[in-house]
Amino acid sequence: MKRGSIIGIIIIAIAIGVIISTYADSSTYGSFIDAKETQKELHVVGKLNKGKEMFYNPQKDANYFSFYMVDNNGTECKVIFNGTKPQDFEKSEQIVLTGEMQNGNFYANKILMKCPSKYTQDKVEVTEVKSQPNI
Amino acid sequence: MDTVFVGEHLLPGKIGQFFIVLSFGAALLSLISYYFASTNTNKLDTSWRNLGRFAYSLNMASVIATGCCLFYIIYKHYFEYHYAWAHSSTTLPVYYIISCFWEGQEGSFWLWTFWQGVLGLILIFTARSWENSVMTTISLSQVFLASMLLGVEILGIKIGSSPFILLRDAIEAPIFSRANYLSLIPDGNGLNPLLQNYWMVIHPPTLFLGFASMIVPFAYGIAGLWMKRYAEMVKPAIAWSLFAVMILGTGIIMGSFWAYEALNFGGFWAWDPVENASIIPWITLIAGVHVLIAYKNSGHSYFTALFLIIISFILVLYASFLTRSGILGETSVHAFTDLGMSGQLLVYMFVFVLLATVLIVQNWKNLPITKKDEDTYSREFWLFIGAITLIISCIQIIATTSIPVFNAIFGSKIAPPTNPIAHYNKWQIAIAVVIAFVSAFSQFLKYKKTDMRKFYISVVVYMVVAALLTGVGVYITGIYTNFMYILLTFAALFSIIANGKLLGDALKGKWKLAGSAVAHIGFALILLGALIAAATNKVISVNNTGIGFGEEFAKSNNPRENIILYKNTPIKMNDYMVTYKGDSTSGVNTYYKVNYQVLDAKGALKENFDLYPNAQQNIKMKQIVASPDTKHYLLHDIYTHVSSVPLKEEEHENHDGHSDDENYDTPIVHQVAIGDTVRYKEGFIIVKGINKNVKIENLPLKDNDVAIGLTLEVETPEGKTQAEPIFLIKGNNKLDFGKKLDEQGLKLRFTNVLPEKNKLELTVYQKQKTDRKDWIVMKAIVFPYINLLWGGTIIMVIGFLLSIFRRAKELKSA
Repeated sequence: MKRGSIIGIIIIAIAIGVIISTYADSSTYGSFIDAKETQKELHVVGKLNKGKEMFYNPQKDANYFSFYMVDNNGTECKVIFNGTKPQDFEKSEQIVLTGEMQNGNFYANKILMKCPSKYTQDKVEVTEVKSQPNI
Repeated sequence: MDTVFVGEHLLPGKIGQFFIVLSFGAALLSLISYYFASTNTNKLDTSWRNLGRFAYSLNMASVIATGCCLFYIIYKHYFEYHYAWAHSSTTLPVYYIISCFWEGQEGSFWLWTFWQGVLGLILIFTARSWENSVMTTISLSQVFLASMLLGVEILGIKIGSSPFILLRDAIEAPIFSRANYLSLIPDGNGLNPLLQNYWMVIHPPTLFLGFASMIVPFAYGIAGLWMKRYAEMVKPAIAWSLFAVMILGTGIIMGSFWAYEALNFGGFWAWDPVENASIIPWITLIAGVHVLIAYKNSGHSYFTALFLIIISFILVLYASFLTRSGILGETSVHAFTDLGMSGQLLVYMFVFVLLATVLIVQNWKNLPITKKDEDTYSREFWLFIGAITLIISCIQIIATTSIPVFNAIFGSKIAPPTNPIAHYNKWQIAIAVVIAFVSAFSQFLKYKKTDMRKFYISVVVYMVVAALLTGVGVYITGIYTNFMYILLTFAALFSIIANGKLLGDALKGKWKLAGSAVAHIGFALILLGALIAAATNKVISVNNTGIGFGEEFAKSNNPRENIILYKNTPIKMNDYMVTYKGDSTSGVNTYYKVNYQVLDAKGALKENFDLYPNAQQNIKMKQIVASPDTKHYLLHDIYTHVSSVPLKEEEHENHDGHSDDENYDTPIVHQVAIGDTVRYKEGFIIVKGINKNVKIENLPLKDNDVAIGLTLEVETPEGKTQAEPIFLIKGNNKLDFGKKLDEQGLKLRFTNVLPEKNKLELTVYQKQKTDRKDWIVMKAIVFPYINLLWGGTIIMVIGFLLSIFRRAKELKSA
């Protein structure tokens, strides 16, 4: 057999390995109910429940932040994040959590927010300017 | 009747839009002209070529004119234009106006088309017999880029997005029905604070020059096929590929340095899809350079070389599709938002894929492909193996980065790996080991055939030396616990000394090899620096003081990486005594002064430095944008950023019955003379004297106006500071300009002069104690040996430069 073909076969083998590995490492999007049923880490997409308390008190513990999120199926769950509270968290429109369920709470190790940040949203902020300047 | 709007400046936009359309038309004309110039059989007829040159120059001039108009609009703060409104503000310093330029998609397309234009001009002057065919491809690409800025609708399809769109056309809002709507929009949205960094002024232009220059080797590859000058294209392609990888590599590392210096994710590379998108074409073109050189010296691997320079540009287009179409969505934090141009970007990519595929298929039988295998002990064979390894590296990065694309195509719902860094590193460290080994031992190989005995002797000798160095290195850096880390250190050190030998030979007279030796040493240092810094960086702000939140924490093994610091209360972190000293505000940034001290065993001060991590507080959005500060040592860095700070209260402006004074306790009025001392809660104020030479900004004084300043020295627990409130009689009115000392929570006003008592009236305002929130939550990381990474980059770029000089010289002598 030609060496060229051997190299070709090796490449194909590695490429298949890569794809299998990508698939094996890849996670899934799920709901809180899915998270209860599996031991694996997964992604949960949902919205912050603004009606319930968000807890972050750095003077007590700078690495504890908890809040309630409603996933896309409508299930609500308490989420605990070992880190600081992202400062514009209240403004988030959508949250993607990565983590796992433990004792009925969802432990997130990563929070990705989609915010209507002032840098992406086209919303004109109108300021009324007075005709008489103050002095 | 249409509303007549007040105060709009429509002319610069109209001129700009005109030049956009002109640049599109000129690019099209240039494409047609160069196409006919290339296919013209009469070599003496230069009329098509001249027309092409004219059209191309016209395109370049229009692109520059478009840029000038856009710059003018942003510089003049014409917020009637959406681009200026969305990306700039009046408070922005002039040098960051340049960054506004490329914050938006339109501006970054402009940058790309500008660089492509410049490169085309260089080719017109230097490409000689290649001009017509190479410029045809470049003009085609220029047509596509110009169309990205068009912003016109043809047959109901919106083509491109113009930077000159008016705010009132871009956004629907009731205020736009008012003729004077502009007076209600006093300021723009401003530039994302993270981009307000000097690296952001030079990183995007470098990166885009890199992306733009990838088209030159591609165009030579296409021209070689089209003109059937298969082998001839190799020499110019090598020179231009080296240029492209040098610039793109520099741009990528600049971005990485920016991330390290200005972002708070605590690292220099995160395998974010946007980062991946820029490094993939770099890796394929690096592979391309090596195989082109192998082909030039041995006649092997022509197709691989051609394939690599073509795919590199296609991958640039794929990268811009990924980052600009919004498809990355949930997987990346810093991709552009969708402007509805994904279709256009796909067409751009598929046209170039199709062009390359058709030409390769047509010419397949004639391509100079050897039927014979290379010798195993030959340099060309290992150059080829190295390139194949790099391709595998790319396949892995593309596979994972493209998960959202697969989801879009197949309707699946796969999520990216939960721990992307571990996922990528697993593959890429192994690949880096192979690359470093190949780049080391192939230096002992010759083209065509090598003496095996000699080869093995040198390899074994150098490997033994490398192994000894590795032993020392892993012991010092403490990475001996991981086998792959040891292996990579060994491979990188092997590469450094093997290429060091080559450099030694180069200095003895074989100067031709210097470039490659230096670049390989640089690359090996990058691998070493990245490995050590990434493997051994250590969060030192570990919080051990957290008060219990019950059992739930015990189970979670997340490190507790943030720590709260109260003002003037030192906390020990590793070897450092860390104290938060207070904050100060400059412009939009609040700087938090954090003092680090190291004491030796006897208690004497060994090290003492202050870091100023900053945060931009956006009171309206109740958010902060934090940037780190880093102390650089030769062998390690100490990196610090604040993760949470008390939000400043929005201070009341003097309007609607509210005044700034509401933020303070009831003021205390003191009648003082020079030399008096006035106490406040935490210190005292000494009245030093009177300043009669006061100038007030923006307030011209008439002859009978009086302005006097009261020179005060404020003694605070933190030290002395000066203040000079001003008292003013203007006409018949008494006015005064108070002085705020935010750090002390003080406001001092010079409110009256009492000549009859020979006294001056000083009013002291002090904030309530409870209002002064004196803490920060911060994170500190030590990065050991990270300078190897940055230093390696500089060395690699020098190596590329040397190689470019060599190849350019060969090109001229050819």
